[in-house]
Amino acid sequence: MEIEEMTFEESLKTLEQLVSELENGNLDLDKALEIYERAIILRDRCRKILDESDRKVRMMIETSEGVKKEDFVIE
Amino acid sequence: MADTISVTQLNQRVRSILSESPAVKDVWVVGELSNLKKYPSGHYYFTLKDNTSEIKGVMFKPSRSRIDFEPQDNMKVTAFGRVDIYVERGSYQFVVETMQRSGVGDLYLAYEALKNKLEAEGLFDPSRKRPLPPYPKVIGVVTSPKGAVIHDIITTTRRLFPADILLYPALVQGEGAAGSIVKGIEALNREGVDVIIVGRGGGSIEDLWAFNEEVVARAIAASKAPIISAVGHETDFTIADFVADLRAPTPTGAAELALRDRKEVLKHLDTDMIRINRSLSMILGRMHHRFEMLDSKLDPKRAEQRVSMYSMRLDDLNSRMGSALKDKIEVVRRRFIRLDSSMDIHVRRMLENDSKDLRRYSERLESINPMKVLDRGYTLVTDESGTALTSSRQLKPGAGINVIMKDGKAEAEVKKVEMR
Repeated sequence: MEIEEMTFEESLKTLEQLVSELENGNLDLDKALEIYERAIILRDRCRKILDESDRKVRMMIETSEGVKKEDFVIE
Repeated sequence: MADTISVTQLNQRVRSILSESPAVKDVWVVGELSNLKKYPSGHYYFTLKDNTSEIKGVMFKPSRSRIDFEPQDNMKVTAFGRVDIYVERGSYQFVVETMQRSGVGDLYLAYEALKNKLEAEGLFDPSRKRPLPPYPKVIGVVTSPKGAVIHDIITTTRRLFPADILLYPALVQGEGAAGSIVKGIEALNREGVDVIIVGRGGGSIEDLWAFNEEVVARAIAASKAPIISAVGHETDFTIADFVADLRAPTPTGAAELALRDRKEVLKHLDTDMIRINRSLSMILGRMHHRFEMLDSKLDPKRAEQRVSMYSMRLDDLNSRMGSALKDKIEVVRRRFIRLDSSMDIHVRRMLENDSKDLRRYSERLESINPMKVLDRGYTLVTDESGTALTSSRQLKPGAGINVIMKDGKAEAEVKKVEMR
């Protein structure tokens, strides 16, 4: 799966798999560097999701035409 | 003309007749409270009513110590007191000296009966409780759009893992509340939210009653998304709390159960990167050692080529390690600032050693700088983007390449490729 499409959970899980692969496997340098590069990308992906500021708070409104969602702001 | 009297005198006469009449003195009256107003003076003013009549009522501050509950609108009570006239207004009112709640006994019986029934069905079994998703994308909330619950949830989630919030505005009290809560749980499930918080603030058993109704319990049990209940005060348990996958003491607590702390997650990420760096340092050290052996024991030319190839990648890596190192120093620094926290010494020492390892390794990388290989008369061939080319199979006639020597570089074009 493309890292850009991964959820936070998937990214973190993949990162953790890489950590154990690197810790347990007797890897050659090529493979280790490949893993390292991927780990950096995954870490960045996780951070990006954590820093997301456009979190949506919405309220459901049921109308005769179906469900609408509008932004909800607390007073 | 007969004697005339003033209005005040008239009211006073009525008052004295009333106050001596046993018919309206020291009586118990059954009714429902409404228009309850609590004044800063400590007096309570309200209307006591039944289906067809009402009477103004007052409970003075000293009498309040005689009751063991907080009066609220719509509460059914049996009040003890007397009728009195308020002379200035000529209005009469019931002066309450004490009161008891009535009808509550029935509610408790209904609560116990439903609780026993659902418990026997296994609806409260720990085995039915589902784990919460660790990193939900959308949290559904069923509660009133006004009031403290949604406010507290939104405020709290700002410092937690970022998730969207979808609110279903529900009635949480009175006629139609149970149906509204059920619709909310169903609607949020249709929207595919990852977890649902069902909540309302504290109140009397009547206020919380919707959360003790069977339809609500069934809707919670049938919900696909796990449900966290945050109903009433910590000490009030509703049926909804027993059926829910998790019960939170407060709305803030519910938000904290649904989402992890953002800082904790970041720390977790840092720890992963530290582990990766450490493993990589070990592998790199091992490889370096092996190349040194190769260099001396095998064909020196081939060994040299391989070293130069890896050196290029190590160089690139070195610069990245640099930024990883910076992150780590930041982590170490932050931990030192929090010395007073209970962070254990072992972790700090580990981080410190780790920084030292990295620094030492950076120095070692420096010692196998590819430029040193070039000093000895070798050239390095890269493609136009700077990636080292190590095989004739990477070359194509007409492609641009860079030839790097110890004191400069040339841009060249491949004329012909011969593979062996």
